[in-house]
Amino acid sequence: MMLLATATRYALLEHARNRFAMVLIALFLPVWTLLAHAAMPDTPARLQLRATGELLAPRGNEITAISGALNAVTLITGFLMFAVTFTSSGFDRRLAMAGYPRTHLVAAKVTALSFACALISAYATAVTCLTWTPRQPVLLTAAFFCAGLTYGVLGVGFGALLRREVEGMFAIVMTSIVDLLLQNPITSSGAGSTITRFLPSYGAMQAATAAGFSTISVPQYVLWQLAWFTVAALLGLLAFHRRTRTTLTVPPRMSVPEQPTRRQQTADLL
Amino acid sequence: MTVIECAGLGVVLVEVIDVHHCYGKRRVLRGVDLQLPTGLLTGIVGENGAGKSTLLKILAGELRPSGGQVRHDGRFGYCPQQVVLNDALTVRQHLAFLQRAFRLGDLRHAQEVMEVLGLAEYADERAAVLSGGTRQKLNLTLALMHDPQVLLLDEPYQGFDWDTYLRFWDLAGRLRDRGRSVLVVSHLAYDTERLDELWCLSGGRLQPQMAGAA
Repeated sequence: MMLLATATRYALLEHARNRFAMVLIALFLPVWTLLAHAAMPDTPARLQLRATGELLAPRGNEITAISGALNAVTLITGFLMFAVTFTSSGFDRRLAMAGYPRTHLVAAKVTALSFACALISAYATAVTCLTWTPRQPVLLTAAFFCAGLTYGVLGVGFGALLRREVEGMFAIVMTSIVDLLLQNPITSSGAGSTITRFLPSYGAMQAATAAGFSTISVPQYVLWQLAWFTVAALLGLLAFHRRTRTTLTVPPRMSVPEQPTRRQQTADLL
Repeated sequence: MTVIECAGLGVVLVEVIDVHHCYGKRRVLRGVDLQLPTGLLTGIVGENGAGKSTLLKILAGELRPSGGQVRHDGRFGYCPQQVVLNDALTVRQHLAFLQRAFRLGDLRHAQEVMEVLGLAEYADERAAVLSGGTRQKLNLTLALMHDPQVLLLDEPYQGFDWDTYLRFWDLAGRLRDRGRSVLVVSHLAYDTERLDELWCLSGGRLQPQMAGAA
């Protein structure tokens, strides 16, 4: 338990010291969300929401604001986790080879990610509520939270597998853009396509849209998103395990009795 | 592992048997044999790209060799050539984190190493703001803080000032005298008189050199 607590404390500290991520949270998230609401036309867009089966007509700027907030949350959490995994993977390996249980290191990263996602998703909901009133703010927060978790563990996977920082940033940005652009009925005529069901934030987008414009609760889509998170977390765990493995078959911490040596002297310890 | 006594030396803690390694078609190691017994300060020198760091990564378990065997016994400490730290953490936090990893009851040994290397005054500084030499001191302290029986040190004095460099050799000598097996890898053949055994990695193989002769 102490091992997990220590690793979690330092994982949170790493996030808190990521100043660029703090700037993104403070500025990028509200600017993108509010800009989407202000710049897009408020003409109603007719769509049939798969999650509830209802025919809805949300304002174009409001549904784009949801899409923008999701985009901001996923980019920030993906970047946050990619940055810590990429920059500290060597140190994580050092810890693992020194005997720190890798499951504890991963659990600490997920705990810190969950904490960060809770704060960011609550903040994103608050920003959204500045310009219009979603019908179910709690469900909206849950959708942001689960999407953030999913992209956070995708960031861990990218950080463990990719060798250059720019590759990871490109992977996160493009994944989020393609994912959300294809699901936005304002920008994509293919938003109703079956293919969109397999996109990483499909569950969150369905739940967030229902939260914005319907009174029907759709917990199954939150669970759908959590399933995506679980699969992505397992892949991230495998990547992390591969990156921090040791090739030694004999446990390095096994001790042997002290032996007298040819140079044994009475030297003090250091 | 079977405990092996080296003739006239201590117990062999690391045994390298016919180790080969290739990067693609480039063969770096072509059959390396080495024994690291207790109470011996061993040096490996070689030109840039000779495969010294590759050999040390294999010894430390970071790299699986293309062929051959490495047998380990006892605790080992590995100081990689490239400094491996977490820039978000302070020196003290690094020690606390590794203390948990090594399951150490206290940081007495780490504090002693820090005193020797002149690192103690930076305890509350973040790794990101430390100078190159100070980062290397922390890198070395993390490798030594659990009082390992085998020390694998890859260019451990990079960036050290002259006084720290001398204190490093003093420290290495005292660890050897306490029965530790110390392996120092360098591309320079300076200070060979401080070594008990010297090898030159050339053509993918270790050639014995006379310690103190360079």
